[in-house]
Amino acid sequence: MDLTIIIEMIAASVFGAVLYTIIGIAPGTDETAVLAPVTLVLVLTGMEPIVILAFFISAIVAKKLTDSIPVAIAGIPGGVMSAPMVEHAMVLKKHGMPDVSIRKMASGSVIGTIISVPLSLILANMLIPLGDVIAEYSSQIFFGGAVFLALMTKNRWLALISIVPFALLIQGLRHLYWGIGAVPEDTTVFTSFFLGITIGPIILRLFELLNKDIRNSLPRRKTNDIVLRKQKPIKGFPNPFKLLDKQEVGSSAIASVFGVGTFFMSPVGMTIFLGELFSSRIKEPIKKASRAISSMDGVTNAGYIAGTLIPLIAIGLPLSPTAIGPGIALFEAPPVFTEDHNLHHILSMSDFVIATVIGAVIAISLTFFVTIKYSQQICAFVFKYIPHEALLGVFFGLVIMLAYRDAGLINIGGVLLIGLVAGILHRWGVNYGVQFMILYSAPWIVMQLL
Amino acid sequence: MTKKQPPVHQSNDKDNNGENIEVWEDIVNIKDLILSIAICTITTLGGYLIAPDDSSKQLMFGLIGVVVGFAICSIIIKPKRTITYVDEEN
Repeated sequence: MDLTIIIEMIAASVFGAVLYTIIGIAPGTDETAVLAPVTLVLVLTGMEPIVILAFFISAIVAKKLTDSIPVAIAGIPGGVMSAPMVEHAMVLKKHGMPDVSIRKMASGSVIGTIISVPLSLILANMLIPLGDVIAEYSSQIFFGGAVFLALMTKNRWLALISIVPFALLIQGLRHLYWGIGAVPEDTTVFTSFFLGITIGPIILRLFELLNKDIRNSLPRRKTNDIVLRKQKPIKGFPNPFKLLDKQEVGSSAIASVFGVGTFFMSPVGMTIFLGELFSSRIKEPIKKASRAISSMDGVTNAGYIAGTLIPLIAIGLPLSPTAIGPGIALFEAPPVFTEDHNLHHILSMSDFVIATVIGAVIAISLTFFVTIKYSQQICAFVFKYIPHEALLGVFFGLVIMLAYRDAGLINIGGVLLIGLVAGILHRWGVNYGVQFMILYSAPWIVMQLL
Repeated sequence: MTKKQPPVHQSNDKDNNGENIEVWEDIVNIKDLILSIAICTITTLGGYLIAPDDSSKQLMFGLIGVVVGFAICSIIIKPKRTITYVDEEN
């Protein structure tokens, strides 16, 4: 391999790690919304495919490491994936241990990465012969995933019954757009619907603010008083295996293995499911929370890496929620990448290994270090100078732009509609995982109803 | 993240005398929130619309618009958080 290409990969990985360390800390940054557009732009500028892969891997590892910081400190999810951790992180925060929470989560992330990189490569290799068959049944797999995750929720009948109506809403809008010519018939609006689901809870709350009765009934407060405990600085280079106890290392590792194996499922859904599974038997609240967040962070990382690498290597179609969401530009970015000509076709197995290892190692060494050592300073800065309103505004603006980009003015209304319904379902306990799976399998579900 | 429906009218509550409300786990002022959404939507969609007719440039301009909107809002809106430090006790 050419030395200049390796240097380019290292440079791109450093860029990805630094950029997404910053973005990860900003609360509420949705993975797809922040990763997909930037990756897309890089692909379209004609960067070498292998360099793009190194960038992407570095970016997801860094983003996953840092999005736990706002969760730990303020209970605000740094992204969709960290939303399930809020509840447990709040337990640690209540006991005045947000720093412990950050260390446990970041260490869980590192373990997830270390386990998932080799495991994903092996699993991908094993799946290559099955790639075509899997591609053929992807819709059924996604539908099965929606049913499975619905059964896992607390209000399982509500979740189960909402599958078909929600699929109808999604397909209904798509057919409307085709019918009136908002988009050509071979274009399926996806990204903006995805984002509509993501910010559903916010959209619902914004609508509620327009209702006088609800607005008046909301409790009024002056300020959000945050108490930070001064942390003792950690000397030397932090070691993730020492920051976790043995059981936590074990359960994050096992959870990560499951995370790789279920790469085609919604990572948020699996995170919730596995995190609860590994912590439900522990009674002591602090231990329970530590176990849950370290395992959950392991699963999210593993699920993300596996969800990117396995479909890329084995199938060549974006057949996992990660691939079809944040990683979509690696599969489809016309005219550079298409279904028949993307990283799957361009890169060899050794290319995949080299790019992944470079990206992951650089992100871990840069971001893990910064996260553990300076989380308090970073948080204090964000809390002091970044108003929550600006973050909500940015999020909203980004979604509106991507809605317009997908299908024009009409789609802004469409995304608000999806967000409103998704927000209500979310409040009723139909989690993101179920909703994303429905989004992926909606075309197939609707066809079965004829 | 579950959004619990807030209790209705807790009068005379010490916590209940400000003008701000909670949205997504943090405190915001309704007027500031509307202002911020307006600014960010205008800069983002504006950036997208004034860009030359080229898919990747439109996206770039839109992303620049996001950053500009974010910077404006961060300057003109004051965070509603207070931070106090306590020493770590074990």
